[in-house]
Amino acid sequence: MLELRQVSKCFAGIPAVDDVSFTARPGEITGYLGPNGSGKSTTMKMITGLLQPTSGKILFEGHPVERDPIAFKQRMGYVPEEPYLYPHLSGLEYLVMVGQLRNLPARRTADRIDGMLRLLSLHGDRHSPISAYSKGMRQKVLLIAALLHDPDLILLDEPFSGLDVASGLVLRSLIQELAARGKTVLFSSHELETVERVCSHVVILHRGKTVADDSIARLRTLMSLPTLEEIFSQLAVEQDTTAISRQIADLIRA
Amino acid sequence: MTNQFRVLYREFLFRMIDLDMLSAQGDAGRLFGQFAGLLVYFSSMLGLGAFFFDARRMTPEKLLLTNWGTEHFLISTTMLVVGLFAVLSWDSTFLDRRDVFVLAPLPISGRTLFLAKVAASAAALSITVAALNVGTGLTWPMIFMPVGSGFLGLLRCYAAYWIAMFAAGAFIFCSVLVVQGLAAQLPRRRFLRLSAFLQMGAFCLFLCVYFLQPSLASPRALAAAGNQRLLATLPSYWFWGMFQALNGSTAGQPAIAMLVRRAWTGLALAAFGAAAAFLLSYFRTLRKIVEEPDIVPAARGFAWPLPFGNSLATAVVLFSARTLVRSRQHRLILAFYLGLGFTMVIFLMKALLAQQERLGASTGVLSHQANAPLLASTVVMMSAWVFGVRIVFAMPLELRANWIFRVTSVRKTAEYLAASRRPLFVLAVAPVWLGSAALLCSIWPWRAVLQHLVVLGLWGMILAYASLYGFQKIPFTCSYLPGKSNMTFAFLGFWVYVNLVAGGANLERRALDRPASFAAMAALLAAAALCVRWRTIARAKSEESEVQFEETMPPAILVLGLNRDGVVPLR
Repeated sequence: MLELRQVSKCFAGIPAVDDVSFTARPGEITGYLGPNGSGKSTTMKMITGLLQPTSGKILFEGHPVERDPIAFKQRMGYVPEEPYLYPHLSGLEYLVMVGQLRNLPARRTADRIDGMLRLLSLHGDRHSPISAYSKGMRQKVLLIAALLHDPDLILLDEPFSGLDVASGLVLRSLIQELAARGKTVLFSSHELETVERVCSHVVILHRGKTVADDSIARLRTLMSLPTLEEIFSQLAVEQDTTAISRQIADLIRA
Repeated sequence: MTNQFRVLYREFLFRMIDLDMLSAQGDAGRLFGQFAGLLVYFSSMLGLGAFFFDARRMTPEKLLLTNWGTEHFLISTTMLVVGLFAVLSWDSTFLDRRDVFVLAPLPISGRTLFLAKVAASAAALSITVAALNVGTGLTWPMIFMPVGSGFLGLLRCYAAYWIAMFAAGAFIFCSVLVVQGLAAQLPRRRFLRLSAFLQMGAFCLFLCVYFLQPSLASPRALAAAGNQRLLATLPSYWFWGMFQALNGSTAGQPAIAMLVRRAWTGLALAAFGAAAAFLLSYFRTLRKIVEEPDIVPAARGFAWPLPFGNSLATAVVLFSARTLVRSRQHRLILAFYLGLGFTMVIFLMKALLAQQERLGASTGVLSHQANAPLLASTVVMMSAWVFGVRIVFAMPLELRANWIFRVTSVRKTAEYLAASRRPLFVLAVAPVWLGSAALLCSIWPWRAVLQHLVVLGLWGMILAYASLYGFQKIPFTCSYLPGKSNMTFAFLGFWVYVNLVAGGANLERRALDRPASFAAMAALLAAAALCVRWRTIARAKSEESEVQFEETMPPAILVLGLNRDGVVPLR
């Protein structure tokens, strides 16, 4: 179980994440939603240890992650928002390197990489340099790298970005399958339809603060709104989107 | 149009440096300033020499020889520096893939792009030539002016000096552009692959010509029939001839007329070729860039079968080796340091040849027995490799991709730092040691070879561990802040170091014949190596050490660490 207790992060005194608390349970897919700049990726980076929280606690299975970050990282897999990879390495070289960095047994890791590359239709391009990969192919490499060590906690930051329809459907089923096998999945996305189908529980962030933390069904009942999109619009979208689009169109003509 | 030109010109000029390499606090302007500062410093030092030049104590013949030698040295140095700069800025000379994708959708005319790129290249060339000659171009023309030519003669000499320098610089810069433009007509993938070899080839060619070209700036050498072919093929002499003609000091040498013709013809051809290369790059190459990926997709991969220690060390060594082999930028910077080492080796070899000539020995006799210049050469190359590799390790490749090392850090810091030390031994110490072993085994008696390999190995170990002291980075993964090291002192230090190595090689040469002396020397080096190793490892294992991914500026205020009552730091 992943638990965030009053976690805050300030950059130059400005809060990016402000007093956020929620729990992601094993076997459950927790959707982490919010508009751009609401603090989703900052939270993800704090959980992975890439950023240090200004205050608050992050606990995994009841223990603060900073107490034994090595043990925590061994059980955590992360797909970042941006597909930053080493372009001069081939997909295979990159994944083998990740296996070595994670100290995984060579033979078993090679079999896993080979199998996952085949299943994600990357096997034919495994020796090509990552610089020649499309965004979707890079996303697949990131996904394999995150799952290579069979993690118990899976953090997915915009994992559908760049994926084609078929790969997106595979990923959606995969997330559900992993949760069904007892993994804790925290996943952030702007695709509200997918989140609504996949997640049992959502946390909505707005300006760095939690504005909702409940199951989707309960949120629908509480707010008397039929879809997650409408719930999200009510909680996290301040602007009148129609008026803004009209203003933009006017501005272009001016 | 003017605004677009100004924005693009500035962007292209600053793109001579890869901004992706700099950290968040990095400053391309500062790096430019440092580069120009180094050239200005070098020029000022050479320029000061003119004040100590006393022509009154020289015979007219001696004065002529000295002047001609100095003029040729200054011209060939300008050509070397501009040539190296052209090679280093190879990737930014023409529009690249990123430019095409960013600028093509914008309403910018091809003419504006073309002019901005040409202007940026011309500005970079001018800055290089001006910075390199700012000191010498002020003082030496006062010496070079023809005797009794008066104030007008001095003005003419200044004009001749600067015209010759800019012409020489433009010739070499344009020549590199021509080669690049011709290669760019190949399929894009082949061009990218060939570029690496062309850059390295040009780099070696410039250094070799600079250091190995014979001295022909004397009336007798100019007149000798056997030298005419050589003079016709060495561009530094063409522009030296151009300077003589413009300065009005040809001293009745018919060979100079031929040199002047060559200079103007060469310059015109290079300028025409460069213009054609630029035009071709806009009309032909740009489309190819859009249509083809940067790197050839590999049909088959090669998996390295042998480990370099544990899985972490293997990962770091393979990552470092692949980066060094596949990154043109890192390879070039390494080549610069290897070039410096190679230059010193040429000097040492010249000393060996001079020694042979003095002794009247037939060529090769001295080189087939243990000798100090060759001993020193291997040590200098070891030093150049170790320093070069260590320096490129600190420069990142795709900095934002380093998150993978951070989220997979499932071991202790000391293990990461131990793994980070391994690539320096695999990529620097081992190749030089093995190369030296192969070379020396073929020419020296086995006993001397074994003895020297022990010394070389221990020295390599000392250098590697000393250069890694306080190095808390995984190679190529930490941001780089330029300007932290003082390049001027680094070069001076390297010069002093080479002289010390030459002295040390003489000691070693004597010790090779005396087993007791050699044993003492080897024991001393082994003790030093163990001591340096212990110190470096102890620092890596200390509590405050952690793997660094972001380079930080030294603090503006230094904390002295003074303690009140020996316990509490003063606040």
